[in-house]
Amino acid sequence: MFKIDEKSLSRKKSITIKYFYETIKDIFNIKLISNKTGFEKIITTKDLLRPGLALSGFLDSFSYDRVQIFGNTELIFLKQLSKEQQKNTLKNFFEFKIPCIIFTNNNKPPKLLLDFANKNNIAVFTSPFTTTKTSYLINDFLDDQFATRISIHGAFVDVYGAGILFVGKSGIGKSEVALDLIERGHRLVADDVIILTKKGENILMGAGTNLVKHFMEIRGLGLINIEKMFGIRAIRYQKRLEIVVELEFWDKDQSYTRTGLDEETITISGVDILYVRLPIIPGKNITVISEVISLNYLLKHYGYDSAKLFEKRLQTKIKDKSNKDLRGVDYFEHDFE
Amino acid sequence: MITKTVKIINKAGLHTRPAATIVKFASKYSCEFFIQKDGININGKSIIGVMTLAAEMDSELTLTFDGKDEVEACEEIVSFFERGFDE
Repeated sequence: MFKIDEKSLSRKKSITIKYFYETIKDIFNIKLISNKTGFEKIITTKDLLRPGLALSGFLDSFSYDRVQIFGNTELIFLKQLSKEQQKNTLKNFFEFKIPCIIFTNNNKPPKLLLDFANKNNIAVFTSPFTTTKTSYLINDFLDDQFATRISIHGAFVDVYGAGILFVGKSGIGKSEVALDLIERGHRLVADDVIILTKKGENILMGAGTNLVKHFMEIRGLGLINIEKMFGIRAIRYQKRLEIVVELEFWDKDQSYTRTGLDEETITISGVDILYVRLPIIPGKNITVISEVISLNYLLKHYGYDSAKLFEKRLQTKIKDKSNKDLRGVDYFEHDFE
Repeated sequence: MITKTVKIINKAGLHTRPAATIVKFASKYSCEFFIQKDGININGKSIIGVMTLAAEMDSELTLTFDGKDEVEACEEIVSFFERGFDE
């Protein structure tokens, strides 16, 4: 079974406020309301914090290194304080190395807070969404940024909606299988270098690299651009990984599954993925088999397991003493066709 | 298994021509050959993989060879890096 090298795993340690703001400003409609300052500061964790308790004076376990979300509660709390109290509270708050502050519901911060932020070089943003929605969006973005990434050598194709990753030794024909699948109307995600990103607890999303996108190398032909050649219908940018198919030369000492009753899985970064080992022998059409793998996976997904159902039929047949006739039809009634 | 760290010394970096040469060298050997840079691990026998690294001058790459002819493969490829891809 193919292994994933430790060296293939990577994880971003930090992102700058500049990158954070420029990436999300258009997708989440985030606006900068402080001066353009503190953009070189970094975010190191995907977690967020609503600093209500810290503002009220409890600073013992204040997670200051997180993105600070100021909802309605924080704003109302600040506003009901007297000028002097507000100044003291903010002075204490801004003594910490905060990455940035985000107001929700299009709220405007008190002028004093903006002054403190500008003086301490901390960027303040505002989001048009509610606190819950803003937190969800930003948390999802940061989760993706800080997720473990795995680089894998293979070909990744969406076959009937199931993401199949072909792996195997160099030169075994992964790209050729992918090309054949594209010809039959399936969609290429990436060839050669696949970057898998963990999403949540049990999802791996796969994409190509930004340099290669939908280019592909076919031995003896060189580089070709799949998107230009076959059009938009032949590609997609990302896909959930659902099946790993390992192509290998036929090995008579290996035992290949014959019934499909015991499914093998491979664990990639803590996620179990269906694993199929396909031996290559003359006359075997890997493309068609890949389509069948995908269809079988979809059937199982919708509750139909061919192997299990066949097993059940066999058991019923063994128990049923009345009908021992082997032939599949009882009688060919006037059927001469 | 052999692991070696090499540095790109030519000005143009690891561009198409040297990438193709590395892949050609690597394909002669049966051992597995991987290159790592910035947390990305690519198969050194794939031209797209090697070019994906977009390795610039002064960047460091880790080469891993694994298989029965790893010594010969390592010698030929490391020397090609050390010669600055003959440029």
